[in-house]
Amino acid sequence: MPKFFKELRERLLKAGVAPRHVRRYLNELRDHFADLKAEEQRAGRGAADAESAALGRLGGMDDLFKAMVEQRQLQSWCVRAPWVLFGVTPLALLAAAWFVALFILWSGWQMFLPGADTPFGVRPGPHRLFELANIYFQVGRMIYFFAPIVIGWGVAILAARQRLRAVWPGVGFVLIALAGATLQVHVRRPDVPGGAGHVSMGFASGPAVQVVSADLVHALVFISIMVTPYLIWRVQRVSRID
Amino acid sequence: MAGRETNPNFMNGVPELLILGLLRQEEMYGYEIVHAIRSRTDEVIAVGEGVVYPVLHGLEREGALRARRRTVNGRSRIYYSVTAAGSRRLADLSATWTDLTSAIQKMLTGGHHAKIL
Repeated sequence: MPKFFKELRERLLKAGVAPRHVRRYLNELRDHFADLKAEEQRAGRGAADAESAALGRLGGMDDLFKAMVEQRQLQSWCVRAPWVLFGVTPLALLAAAWFVALFILWSGWQMFLPGADTPFGVRPGPHRLFELANIYFQVGRMIYFFAPIVIGWGVAILAARQRLRAVWPGVGFVLIALAGATLQVHVRRPDVPGGAGHVSMGFASGPAVQVVSADLVHALVFISIMVTPYLIWRVQRVSRID
Repeated sequence: MAGRETNPNFMNGVPELLILGLLRQEEMYGYEIVHAIRSRTDEVIAVGEGVVYPVLHGLEREGALRARRRTVNGRSRIYYSVTAAGSRRLADLSATWTDLTSAIQKMLTGGHHAKIL
């Protein structure tokens, strides 16, 4: 029986039914099957006969599959609008994460380094690793550097859960990697002594070969970190099927 | 021609109608629903037992049903009941079905033919 339900699960996921609906459907089918089997056993059948009869009453694989796929409202957004899930959403999440990182950088500059020309400098005098200012800046830095990777892993998890082909997740990975590789933080000194400085973000541009090749290397590093867990999952899945 | 409804499939909406009709009276879980349909229709209508769940999930998604988990005799079950939107849907489906059956009945008993003559 586990094989029957497992096969049904794989077919439903590949057909685009949302994982949470698939999970609930299979749980209810398993409960229903247990009730039917108990009913058949009460009617005097042996365990094997009861199981076979219960399965027959539950419905064939094709019928159970078709009934669920016909409910279009139970389809996953990964299938209904993949461009939103793998194109727009990762970029929007990246923008939000970088906004937070930028805010931390700017506010840390105002709070902990007032009057300094740049928030990237080191405050004169002794400082400790775990002092608030250091932790504050490191949190922002971690958000800035790890946001593309974490969001890329999110894309990988979505794709793996839905048993998607690699096309749309691939688009997502490339967009995230390009954005992550070409983003630069710009800092402008305060216009007046003691005034507030400015921080901003922009994408690296320019025809210089060095800039392009450095961005490309960054993008490849991001892609390899994001894609590795996804590739491992795909290889494991293929070997399981074999 | 405008505004005229068609019936592409006579069984369209029948599972929904039966389920909403049953659940209007009391909340049930899937196994109970299938058995209630079978017994209350004198086994004339016997739906494939597993295919009732996609219909239930679809109705819940549309807001016609609500589901809640209850533990009965040590087993966790998902019980379904009708919402206000479900009651309205039931009324619409019942009206459509009543019109359809009376039209078919009329055809079968020759009412339409007699009128033409």
